[in-house]
Amino acid sequence: MAYSELIKNFSRIREYMREFYLYGFKSRDEYATRRSGRSYDDERRRLESWLGDAMRFRQTTEGKNVFISIDTRVSRHNPLYAAWKAKSFTDGDITLHFVLFDILSEPETALTLAELMERIDGYLQGFREPRMFDESTVRKKLKEYADEGIITAERDGKTVRYRRAGAEMQPDSDLLDFFSEVAPCGVIGSYLLDKQGAHDGHFAFKHHYITSALDSEVVCSLFLAMRAKRAVTLEIAWRRREWIRERQAVPLRLMVSAQSGRQYLMVYLPSIQRIQSVRTDAILSVRPGAVCDRFDELRQTLDGMAPHLWGISTQGRTGQRLEHVEFTVHYEKNEPHIHARLEREKRCGTVERLDGNTSRFSADVYDAGELMPWIRTFLCRITSISFSDPLLEARFREDLREMYAQYGLEGGAEA
Amino acid sequence: MIFSELYSAYYNTVAAVLKAACGHPLEKGELRRIIGEKAFGESALNIAPALAEERWQLLRADGTTPIAHAPTMPLTALQLRWLKAISLDPRVRLFPEAVPDLPDVEPLFTPEDYTVFDRYADGDPYADEAYIRHFRLILRAIRERTPLEIESATGRGSRVRRCLMPEYLEYSEKDDKFRLIGSGCRWGNTINLGRILACAPSERLLEPGPAARPEQAAVELELRDRRNALERVMMHFAHFEKEAERLDGDRYRLRVIYDREDETEMVIRILAFGPMLRVTAPEDFAELIRERLRRQKMFLS
Repeated sequence: MAYSELIKNFSRIREYMREFYLYGFKSRDEYATRRSGRSYDDERRRLESWLGDAMRFRQTTEGKNVFISIDTRVSRHNPLYAAWKAKSFTDGDITLHFVLFDILSEPETALTLAELMERIDGYLQGFREPRMFDESTVRKKLKEYADEGIITAERDGKTVRYRRAGAEMQPDSDLLDFFSEVAPCGVIGSYLLDKQGAHDGHFAFKHHYITSALDSEVVCSLFLAMRAKRAVTLEIAWRRREWIRERQAVPLRLMVSAQSGRQYLMVYLPSIQRIQSVRTDAILSVRPGAVCDRFDELRQTLDGMAPHLWGISTQGRTGQRLEHVEFTVHYEKNEPHIHARLEREKRCGTVERLDGNTSRFSADVYDAGELMPWIRTFLCRITSISFSDPLLEARFREDLREMYAQYGLEGGAEA
Repeated sequence: MIFSELYSAYYNTVAAVLKAACGHPLEKGELRRIIGEKAFGESALNIAPALAEERWQLLRADGTTPIAHAPTMPLTALQLRWLKAISLDPRVRLFPEAVPDLPDVEPLFTPEDYTVFDRYADGDPYADEAYIRHFRLILRAIRERTPLEIESATGRGSRVRRCLMPEYLEYSEKDDKFRLIGSGCRWGNTINLGRILACAPSERLLEPGPAARPEQAAVELELRDRRNALERVMMHFAHFEKEAERLDGDRYRLRVIYDREDETEMVIRILAFGPMLRVTAPEDFAELIRERLRRQKMFLS
C-alpha cells in the first residue's frame, strides 16, 4: 500500500513512539528484526511529519539512530497528541462531513434522509465529476454521528429527522491548556483546543510525563467500563511484548505516578480471585463485557487496601500478607526540611520525631521492595534500617556496598 | 471513539480552508499558508492535491466552495463527558471561566476512578478563597501583561515584597504546586503561589521581557540494565531533554539536560536507582554523590 501520513490503527505507531521517545538508541536494523524495514521507514517518516523538530538523529557505528527529544518544561502542549490527530478517512467521509454539517448548520433545521440526499446532490453539482452518495452510506454516516453525539435522530412515527446536536460551547482556553496536560485523557482537551485556533499559552509544566498520551485509547475505554461497572477482556503484553495473553478483569481504578511516568490499572482478576495492578502501556486492547454485580464491593476492598499500598504492588516477594520496613534519619538543627520531607512523602507510612536531630519512618505494606528507591533518596542520613524480609535488607546493604565501590569508597566500614 | 477523523488535523485544516473560501475565492498561496499553519509537515502534499483534483469535493477549481457557512461541529459526547469530568476536579475553581454546566452528561471519570498515588502531601490549597483570588489575579495579569506587586513568605518565615511582570504559571504534578514565573525583578522572578500573602496590580512601569530560562546543566550517567533498570530509568528521566547510547551488553550511557537550580533534586533522583546508575561526568556532580555516600558510610558502619 502507498505511504500515507495518516493511519487507520494506532497500535503500531504507539509502539514506535514509545521506543523513539523513551530509548532512542536503537538502530533501524534492530527495529527491522521485529517489523519490516519498510514499516520502520514509514513510521519514522510519519513521526517526522507530525513532530517536526522534536525528531532527532544521531549517527553511530551501528547506523543512524532516530529518537524523540522533548523538554516538557519548555513545551507547553504535549507534542505526542499529534499522533491522535492523524486518523485516516476516505474521500467520501470528508466530503460528506462538511456537506452534512453545512446543510444542518442551523439547530432548527431537521431533515429526513430523503431531504438530505436531495440537498447533498445539489452541493456536488458544480464539480467536474460529481460524486454520488448512496442512501445507505449517508444513513450509516448519520448513525455514526448520532453515536458520537453530534447529530440527533428524532423519530416521529415512521419518519426520522436528523438535526445537529446542540452543544457548541467554547470552554476557556486557559482551562483547556491546563487540564489537557494534567488530566487523564488530556488529548480530548487538546481536541477542544484545536477548535479555538492559535493563542498564547500561560502554563508551563515541571516533572511532566507525556508518554501516558500514548495510552489514551486504552485509558478511555477503561474509564467507560468503570463508569458502567463493567468487566472487560484485556489483551496484555507480557515480558517486553514477548507474549500476549487475554485476561478477564474488573477494572477498579487508574493509578497514576507523578514520579515515574507510569500508569497502572488496579483490576480484580476472577481467575486468581485477587486484586492486582497492570501497567496501562502493557494493555493492547480493552473489550467491554457484562456489568459486574460485585463492582462496588470490589472497589471497597481496594479502598480498604490503601493503608498498606505504597505504590501499586499488592504482594511482595515473601508472599506474607504484610511486610514491615523502618528507618531513621539524622539531620542537623538547621535542616528542619528533612523531617518535613518525610512528612510530605510518607504516603501510607508513619513518621515520628525521635529527638531534635532524628526522625523515624515506618510502614507495614504489601510489598516493601517498592520503598527501596525512595529510601535511597535519604542516603547520607540513614542511621538505621530494617526490613522484615531479611533478603530485602541484604539487598539494600549489598547495593550500598556496590555504590561505595562505584565511587571509589570501597573498603573500610561495612554497611 | 477517541481516535477519530472528527478530531483530525486534516478535518480541522479543511474547516479552516472552507471558512476562508466562504468569504472569497481561495488562492493557492492562501491554501498553502492555512495548511502550513494547521496541519503536519507533509500534509500540503496530500490536502492541496485532494482538493484540487476534486477527490474531496469541497473546493471548486476557481477557489470557491459550495459550503455556505463557516464550518462548525458540535462537541462530541466524549468531549462533553471529559469536560464534565474536569468540572469535578478541585483545581477547576481556580479558573474564572467555569466549565459549562452539563447536568445531563455523565462524566468520563470521577475522582474515585483515578489516583495520583505518589504526589506530595503538601500541595497547594485549591479550596482556599485567598489562594483562588491570588491565582485569578495573576492569571489575568499574565493575559493582560500588567505588573503585579506581591508579598510572599520566605522559606525562613520572613516576608518579602516584589514587583514583577508575570510571564506564566508553572505547575508541578509531583509537588502539586503552582509557581509564578515573572520577569523584571532583581530580587527573584519565581514565587510559589502557596506562599503569597498579598497580591495586587502594580502602578509601576516595568519593561516586559521574556522570563529568563534557568541555567542549564548536563549530567552523564552510566546505566546497568539489571532489575529492569533501563526501562525504569528511561521512563523516570523521560521528561528531560536527553540522549541515550548503548555501550555494550547491558551498559548504556545517558546524557540528561536539567535546570541547574534543580541540582539537589537530580542528585537524589539518581541515588534512588542505587548501583544501577552511576554518574560519570561532570566530576563535581559525581562528587556530590560521593560525598553523600561517604557520610552514609559513617552512619551505617
